[in-house]
Amino acid sequence: MANVTFRNVRKSFGEFVALEELDLHINEGEFVALLGPSGCGKSTTLRMLAGLEFPTSGEIMIGDRVVNDLAPGKRDIAMVFQSYALYPHMSVGENIGYPLKKRGIKGRERDDAVQKAAELLQLDALLDRKPKQLSGGQQQRVALGRALVRDPQVFLLDEPLSNLDAKLRSYMRAELIELHRRLGKTMVYVTHDQLEAMTMASRIAVMHGGRVQQFDTPDAIYNRPANRFVAGFIGTPPMNQVEGTVEGGHFITGGHKVPIDRSAYADALRDGPVVLGVRPEAITIGKGEGLPATVRLAENTGHETIVTLELPDRTRISARVEAARRLDVGHSVALTFDPDAIHLFEASATGARLNLDAKSASVVSMRSK
Amino acid sequence: MKTLRPIVLNLVTWTLVLLIAFPLLWMIITSLKPQSELFRIPPTWIPESITFEHYWRLLSETPFLRYFRNSVVLAVSTTVFVVILGTLGAYSLVRFTYRGRETMAMLVLFTYLLPSVVLIIPLYLMIASLGLSNSLFGLILAHTTFALPYALWLLRSFMEGIPEDLENAALVDGASRMGAFKDVIFPQLLPGIISTALFTFILSWNEYLYALVLVNSESVTPLTTGVMSMLISAFNIEWSLLMAASVMMSLPLIVVFAFLQSYLTSGFGAGGVKG
Repeated sequence: MANVTFRNVRKSFGEFVALEELDLHINEGEFVALLGPSGCGKSTTLRMLAGLEFPTSGEIMIGDRVVNDLAPGKRDIAMVFQSYALYPHMSVGENIGYPLKKRGIKGRERDDAVQKAAELLQLDALLDRKPKQLSGGQQQRVALGRALVRDPQVFLLDEPLSNLDAKLRSYMRAELIELHRRLGKTMVYVTHDQLEAMTMASRIAVMHGGRVQQFDTPDAIYNRPANRFVAGFIGTPPMNQVEGTVEGGHFITGGHKVPIDRSAYADALRDGPVVLGVRPEAITIGKGEGLPATVRLAENTGHETIVTLELPDRTRISARVEAARRLDVGHSVALTFDPDAIHLFEASATGARLNLDAKSASVVSMRSK
Repeated sequence: MKTLRPIVLNLVTWTLVLLIAFPLLWMIITSLKPQSELFRIPPTWIPESITFEHYWRLLSETPFLRYFRNSVVLAVSTTVFVVILGTLGAYSLVRFTYRGRETMAMLVLFTYLLPSVVLIIPLYLMIASLGLSNSLFGLILAHTTFALPYALWLLRSFMEGIPEDLENAALVDGASRMGAFKDVIFPQLLPGIISTALFTFILSWNEYLYALVLVNSESVTPLTTGVMSMLISAFNIEWSLLMAASVMMSLPLIVVFAFLQSYLTSGFGAGGVKG
């Protein structure tokens, strides 16, 4: 019953429009990540779902209730804040028990629930401590405990891992995936970290400029980005984008022909300017035949080398090669792209993918309305 | 050199302490001296005989206790008013956005910058037209008006130090706005409330001008004006009684400070929120 729906939701703060038009449907039990750079509207979306902000227009539903005018405490949600927002004057046990206390659950029943949540998160030895006596990771778990103690319909998580160090973060990522699997509850997770979104979410809503750019599985987001923004946001380094034209079914840039798989486009492939997208791992660096380029930088990370290359028109692109490969800076090379891994986008500002399938197309067509 | 340094430092410190504490000490000593020893030259530093007769006379033969009671009612009521209004006002200034919010806050502070002498005539007229002149309640209102601006700004800065997410978390956890205030904001604000209360209490306890202008009936006169008019006349100043009265007037402040000092310095709100 706990699916979440945003219908035509718009939010502005005075002159500033935080969300243009939001349509999202999150299924029950799904783990959805709202991913985007800061200022994209992802936190506003979450805060509206929590009831801490109110939409300027549109409808928000949890289950089949419209919750627009419902107080946060009546929405049957729990939220984990980026700052954890633990109550400093209360002990760990009191912090975790607070949502139950506010719902009139007393005595034994409350103690048992707190104990259960604490055991699940290995906090049972710390129940009498105050938040400031805990490490960052422990504080994080108390915040989680406070969220899951009363079994809400929807969990909202606002960048919960961003204050942890890298090692603890990857540990907590695994813990959260495990927790979601065990609880089977709907989770909405706001993050600017694509690694978190890619590894944890069943679906990702990539947001930018107050709009959802693409809402799909991590696999589809990576392999079939709906537009140039998504292509340029996902991946480290992100997808390379090369400007050029289509002429007679070929992609031409700087007078060089790049072979593409025409069958994938059908009649979408018309002559005119386009942007070609290719992931760093789909580029082969060789000699002789191919797109000429100059090596500008080679960064060896230990298990691979990221090579920065400059095309004749000064566009810089990156390629991923094996760590042992030696490439001298300043040398000329020839690039070939894997034809199956080439993406073509409109040359317009929105830069929609040329061969969008119907589902992603609906998101993008709304954008250009 | 090494041993000299702390000695010099101590000497300087204690000289300063004595300099500042001297009037206080002299007040206590004078209040305990018998009348005969009072004006002796050279003065006796340590009284030859200690007497409590001035205290006794003050308590039994003068309306000192009534003044004292009036002052307590006045300062406590003012403090309660100021803390309640200041807290609500600060909450509004920090948590809500509305037109004219900053202007209002600045205007309130502006009234604080005006000397009370400038404000007292209009204030007197207002209080008189409300039919509250010569009443303790009127004086309480007047004290509230001059303590509130600073209290509001003091509480505002304390309130700004409380992360909004704490309150949001309480709301999501099922608390009402009042509930969130009571459970989360208030405990965090307590050090701020205590300092504000202390500040207001002292201000009201020591206030002289408003009490002089707004109140002239014996039954509602507070200590400041009461003691002055009782013991200081054009012809004579009752020094020993005055000093005894001063000691007893300072006592409540010293007691309050002693009890609340640990609250003021403890700042137990830190560390709950990271980032």
